[in-house]
Amino acid sequence: MKALEVREVSKMFPGNLANDRISFSVEKGEIFAIVGENGAGKTTLMNIIYGIYTPSAGTIFVNEKEVKIHSVEDAIRLRMGMVHQEFMLIPRFSVTENIVVGDEPRKGIFFDYTRAVREVRELSERVSLTVDAQATTGDLPVGIQQRVEILKVLRRGAEILIFDEPTAVLTPEETADLFVTMRKLQEEGKTILFISHKLKEVMEIADRIAVLRRGKLQGIVNKKDTNEEELARMMVGRNVVLEIPKLDVPVGDVAFACHDLHVKNSRGYEALKGVSFEVRGGEIVGVAGVQGNGQDELVNAMIGFSRPVSGSMELNRKSMHMVTTAQLRKEGMSYITEDRARRGLVMPYTVRDNAIMGQHLNKPFSRGLRMDYEKVAEFAEGKVKEYDIRPGDIYDTAGSLSGGNQQKLILARELSLPHNFLIASQPTRGLDVGATEFVYGKLLEEKKAGKAILLISLELSEILGLSDRILVMFDGHIVGETTPDKTTEEALGLLMLGVGIDRKVQS
Amino acid sequence: MNESNFTNKFLKVFGIENHRHNRRDPLNILVPLVSIALALILGMIVIAASGRNPFRAYALLFGDSGLIPGGSSWPREFAELLIKSAMYIATGLSIALAFKGGLFNIGAEGQFWVGAIVATFFGYWTPVAHTFGAMYAALGSLGWIAQLLHGAVCIIMGMLAGGAWGAVAGYLYVKRGVNIVIGTIMLNWIAWFLITSWLVTGPMTPPSQTFTSGTFYIADTAKLFRIMMPTRLNTSILLVLIAAYATWFLLYKTTIGYEIRAIGYTANIGMDAPRAQGININRRVVQVMFFSGALAALGGTFFILGMQYQFPNTATMGYGWTGITVALIGQAEPIGVILAGLFIGAMRTGATSMQVANIPKTFSDIIEGMAVGFIAMQVAVRYYLVKIIHHRRARTTPPADQEATA
Ligand SMILES: Nc1ncnc2c1ncn2[C@@H]1O[C@H](COP(=O)(O)OP(=O)(O)OP(=O)(O)O)[C@@H](O)[C@H]1O
Ligand SMILES: [Mg+2]
Repeated sequence: MKALEVREVSKMFPGNLANDRISFSVEKGEIFAIVGENGAGKTTLMNIIYGIYTPSAGTIFVNEKEVKIHSVEDAIRLRMGMVHQEFMLIPRFSVTENIVVGDEPRKGIFFDYTRAVREVRELSERVSLTVDAQATTGDLPVGIQQRVEILKVLRRGAEILIFDEPTAVLTPEETADLFVTMRKLQEEGKTILFISHKLKEVMEIADRIAVLRRGKLQGIVNKKDTNEEELARMMVGRNVVLEIPKLDVPVGDVAFACHDLHVKNSRGYEALKGVSFEVRGGEIVGVAGVQGNGQDELVNAMIGFSRPVSGSMELNRKSMHMVTTAQLRKEGMSYITEDRARRGLVMPYTVRDNAIMGQHLNKPFSRGLRMDYEKVAEFAEGKVKEYDIRPGDIYDTAGSLSGGNQQKLILARELSLPHNFLIASQPTRGLDVGATEFVYGKLLEEKKAGKAILLISLELSEILGLSDRILVMFDGHIVGETTPDKTTEEALGLLMLGVGIDRKVQS
Repeated sequence: MNESNFTNKFLKVFGIENHRHNRRDPLNILVPLVSIALALILGMIVIAASGRNPFRAYALLFGDSGLIPGGSSWPREFAELLIKSAMYIATGLSIALAFKGGLFNIGAEGQFWVGAIVATFFGYWTPVAHTFGAMYAALGSLGWIAQLLHGAVCIIMGMLAGGAWGAVAGYLYVKRGVNIVIGTIMLNWIAWFLITSWLVTGPMTPPSQTFTSGTFYIADTAKLFRIMMPTRLNTSILLVLIAAYATWFLLYKTTIGYEIRAIGYTANIGMDAPRAQGININRRVVQVMFFSGALAALGGTFFILGMQYQFPNTATMGYGWTGITVALIGQAEPIGVILAGLFIGAMRTGATSMQVANIPKTFSDIIEGMAVGFIAMQVAVRYYLVKIIHHRRARTTPPADQEATA
């Protein structure tokens, strides 16, 4: 039986056809993956199915009956559930409260919390998704928060589950857990729509795969009959080379150095416990580690967001003691953040205005107090072309761009700032293969130009492919230093988990 | 930070952050206009329900508001409208500018009065008054230069003082974490009591007078020029238009404005994006509060230099609060603030004569309140407007705009 079918669905945004006559159907109990470049229209399509957007044209069938989905409530009534790219949880609520919110068990007119907790426990046992029903949601790791989202959706009786890039925020272990869950749900007869940029994951979990490109359906393939290369080619329209060439660049001067750095996190807990390393011009130093082992605190200290408790940092051999972010920027530090929405861009600002933030005090973008928006627009137009930022109107707000295009905008801005040291923190998070390839290319160009690069990533393949030296972080320490040719993903993975720390890897 | 969250939620409700995304969207103008129209229609119903004739009430309200030329009393009403509006626009700009920076400056009221008292002081203080008096006498037919200078001194000192009063709240916020709303409310009361219970009844009152008479009168050279004899219309309306232009310029043409808006747009999520680009948030916040305070104080100087010529003992609060209404109806845009200030000025001018005809002034307050209410229901108003506008288009094409806010 077809659990879901869309026929000729289109969605028009002003000046932008995000979905162009898309048709497909999903069998009950199937895991159906949707892949496509950034901005291909995946999220838009899911939002249509889930009632957040109304389609400009086309029809939707659920269980082979035509339905009109005008709102999320309609979608929930039709037993659909969506786990969004950005979680919709209330951090201050307990897990139980978050799961039952909007549909609480009641005793009379009162919220029956005890019963709610019991229900949540039963549910979590039944589908073997372990959560602490009484924990405060905001304190939980991302992977667990996602479980809370899934439980919330299941509790409302969802039969069709939509996952929009669920793995983008997960560590490899968490991803593995999620896949176990998905399989279990599949066994229970649930239908799953799954979006991901990681083709390896798609090949692992999906039964069939639909490829979207620029709003159009390129084709639907059986997992059995395809491979990663073919998918990438369908997505991008050409062969994609994720092979990273080895570049030998003479190593230059020390751009950044830190010594015995101790940094506390926002809760006052010492998250960085004495870290020392240096980054030289023309080299990429990769920092591998499971999320939450001090990487964020390291970056915060480096960009002047927090003050180290002790230890020293130097940028271009000048002490960074008590300097401001503005001074660091002036001294030549660029920063690509993984947190595009909060740290990277001012979402309501246009592409034009975002493109120069940080340089807006320099000529030609301003003279004295006066902004020269014509020059800004000229610059932004140039960058939009150079980096192929789509849809390409510099007066679009950054918030209306798809994730990949937002990332390109950040890259365009940071790489055009005068700099000799680049911090790249998960620079390909949420990016499609084409955009990832593009980012890798840019990073290598930077290296060739003699810039010093600190690459922080959770993707081991990225770390191994790009880095000249690799530092492994675990629990606030650098527990090993090695080079790509002397190690493997497996060895790094073990180190990252703190296995065999006492026998530090000698490089 | 909680207060920026609060302010941003507040602003979102009034549509100020939310639909600015597309600055070319005609709905930005339509929504406030429709809100006012709806308020006026509902106002009629309320008046009718109270057993009065709504048409007669509106005839008086608008006939005597100064908006519609004609009749012998029109010049006076027109003058009153502009004099009132000038002050409302000043406080409206003050609040609008702070909104743009993601701050809720409830302190416009206090800053207004600080500006007023300081302008009074420099208006009458002997060393200053005598200097300009002597200059006026010496210049003969060029005496207006002395008037211009004295007025300017009073206005500038008033604005600096009001700005400083605002900056204190900004400083307390960035350095001590004192919530802007709470800080400015506190400073309002401090200013108000310092002025009315001490300065105006003590050190600034002529010794021979009774305590009910207010401060010294300002020198003639400090008074604003009258520009439409015989009414008391003065240059304040022109000055406030310049201030509105300056505010617009600051926001949309300068590096400071670029930074202020970036801060305001991200205030609810911690302002990390502008901070990571090296923007000095703390300094800008204090600056915004300074500019905001100076604009409110400008209104206060109008109150003294254009209307009262002394700080009267009968002054009542309200100009700063009205500024909030004006900024909200004006959608925190300088041009909107001008129009909204004129609207409120007209309503208040007309209300006086409506009162003469035994229709309580409260009705105009109710209409103002309802206009703000409809603006607060922005999302709904937009939704229906979009529906109406797109009605003739294909039913299957939903307005994209309404979804951006969903
Ligand atoms: N609310 C909106 N208003 C206008 N345009 C939009 C809106 N939402 C999305 N778009 C545009 O529609 C296109 C498809 O976007 P969508 O978010 O569906 O892409 P995506 O495939 O999910 O990309 P990503 O992998 O980066 O998340 C993009 O060009 C985007 O700019
Ligand atoms: Mg998406």
